[in-house]
Amino acid sequence: MSVPMVAAGRERKQPVFERYLNILGPLAMILALGVIMAIFEPRFFRITNIRIILQDAAIYMVLGMAMTLVITGAGIDLSIGSISALSAIVMAIFIKDLNVAVYVAMLLALIVGIGCGLVNGLIITLLRVPDLIATLSTDLVFRGLALVLAAGAVLQRFPEPIPAIGRGRILNDTIPIPIIIGVAVLLVGVFIYRYTPLGRYAIAIGGNRESAMLAGINVRRNKVYHYMLMGAAAALAGIMLTGRLNAVQATVAEGFALHTIAAVVVGGTVLFGGRGTMMGTLVGVILLSMVTNALVILRMAFFWQLVASGVIILASVAFYSYLERRGKGGSE
Amino acid sequence: MRGISKHFGGLQALKDVDLTLHAGELLAIVGDNGAGKSTLIKVLTGVYPPDGGSISLDGQPVRVPSRRASIDLGIDAVYQNLALVDYLTAPENVYLGNEIKRSVLGITVLDNRGMRKNAAEVLNERLGVALGNIDQMTFNLSGGQRQAVAIARALIQQKVRILILDEPTAALGPEEARRTLEVVQRLKGKDMGIIMISHQLEHVFELADRIMVMRRGRLAGVRTVAQTTRQEILGLIVGSISDYEADGGRSGASAPVAS
Ligand SMILES: Nc1ncnc2c1ncn2[C@@H]1O[C@H](COP(=O)(O)OP(=O)(O)OP(=O)(O)O)[C@@H](O)[C@H]1O
Ligand SMILES: [Mg+2]
Repeated sequence: MSVPMVAAGRERKQPVFERYLNILGPLAMILALGVIMAIFEPRFFRITNIRIILQDAAIYMVLGMAMTLVITGAGIDLSIGSISALSAIVMAIFIKDLNVAVYVAMLLALIVGIGCGLVNGLIITLLRVPDLIATLSTDLVFRGLALVLAAGAVLQRFPEPIPAIGRGRILNDTIPIPIIIGVAVLLVGVFIYRYTPLGRYAIAIGGNRESAMLAGINVRRNKVYHYMLMGAAAALAGIMLTGRLNAVQATVAEGFALHTIAAVVVGGTVLFGGRGTMMGTLVGVILLSMVTNALVILRMAFFWQLVASGVIILASVAFYSYLERRGKGGSE
Repeated sequence: MRGISKHFGGLQALKDVDLTLHAGELLAIVGDNGAGKSTLIKVLTGVYPPDGGSISLDGQPVRVPSRRASIDLGIDAVYQNLALVDYLTAPENVYLGNEIKRSVLGITVLDNRGMRKNAAEVLNERLGVALGNIDQMTFNLSGGQRQAVAIARALIQQKVRILILDEPTAALGPEEARRTLEVVQRLKGKDMGIIMISHQLEHVFELADRIMVMRRGRLAGVRTVAQTTRQEILGLIVGSISDYEADGGRSGASAPVAS
């Protein structure tokens, strides 16, 4: 394919470096953070601490994978924290109060998550409520349901494999199981993005909804699938969280949605849809978890974590829109 | 298509329009801006549901409730706005909605390499357009290259019976327009029927077998190219000639593929 172009002009070969800028940006920030921590607090690099960072990141990898797909398809899901809480509470009640087998209860959690996603998808596509408003509302509904079901209780001490999923380790007690789950889910995401119609159509729907429709793509059905996958991911995240704490209550996971969306955006996925990368999300997730951890280790007050996360999100998005202007010839 | 009507709010975009297409012929649709040409083909391709009227294919009545349904019936279109996705590559756009799949360990996956190879072949050999780097995003392509990608979308379809081209040369320079018309010429004459919307009468007279003129959402007249003149067509377009009832096209000798 080295034939020269007939009508050249706007075409430029993008160097590899530029193609992967969306990953290199956050990676550079990870390095910078590493240098800072090496100077101020070498304990940051202890294996136990790195494990804590990755364990925290693992949940957001699971959520980030599905959120990357949702956002690529020009959607957004603000209800995922409540879905995680609701599915975890349902699972916990079935195990603790109803003595249902643990695997059955976990399956039920997934079904609840997928069901919540289906509800979101149908509200958005059939009632034509904008994604943001729809999931903002169902966030309240799902949270309310979780509160009602749990009735203020903290449910704890769950049978295996729930604790293992949340904080177990394999290979001589070295590698945390949640990290394996998180990475595996992201790899599935890479596969979906690159090798399935679901991923391809998400890019088309988010990039140009009308073109997608004119190509015969069932836009609504695909959007519903995105939210169902998001629901399943939120349920899995809920199980992981329950396992990590070996306890659950209805108020858990409140920050999931914003943290996940932030990680996805920091990773270079465009908030308006049409473009994204799973690997970018991986890097974004790790960066945000590192920042949170670094500030804890430095004994900074909680609000500094918020400030730092906010600054990172702003810096990334400003960086991407700078690249965008330059990439398109800078003519705006 | 018989008696097709369509309104958008208070605007009557189509009123009682008939369209007949014979196998192997090229029917041109001409008419002023806003005459309803694009709307008519969007009804035919299942994008807009008509308010009234019927569509039949090979004499059988058919329903075209969705774009997918029209593709499955073998009716494909290159729309006026090209309907491409900027952040997909040319091959991804060419195969969008009709991906080639293959099975790996029992899982069905997209055959990206196969699509890339075929799309490059269609673009290079059949359309004579080189893209340089075939993996670049479509927003980097020139108007002519984008047009070629849109046309390639139709060419890779297995069983296109009716191909619709909505102003295929509008965005093109003279050289690219010429090449596109050659492609249309080559497609013609297989048993595919082609509908081409165009504002350029010289292209229409060069390629078409029959010309259908639309005016303000209505059929203004249909003429066989061999038996009409540019003056007459222009007259129908601007409304100085009108024969809404007479329809030269309906008495065609061969059986209609679609009507
Ligand atoms: N989706 C829509 N909603 C509302 N009005 C529409 C829509 N699509 C077309 N119209 C209107 O219907 C009329 C016919 O438009 P159409 O696009 O079919 O014209 P056309 O003959 O293709 O014109 P052109 O030569 O400019 O492409 C116009 O008045 C247009 O504004
Ligand atoms: Mg038009």
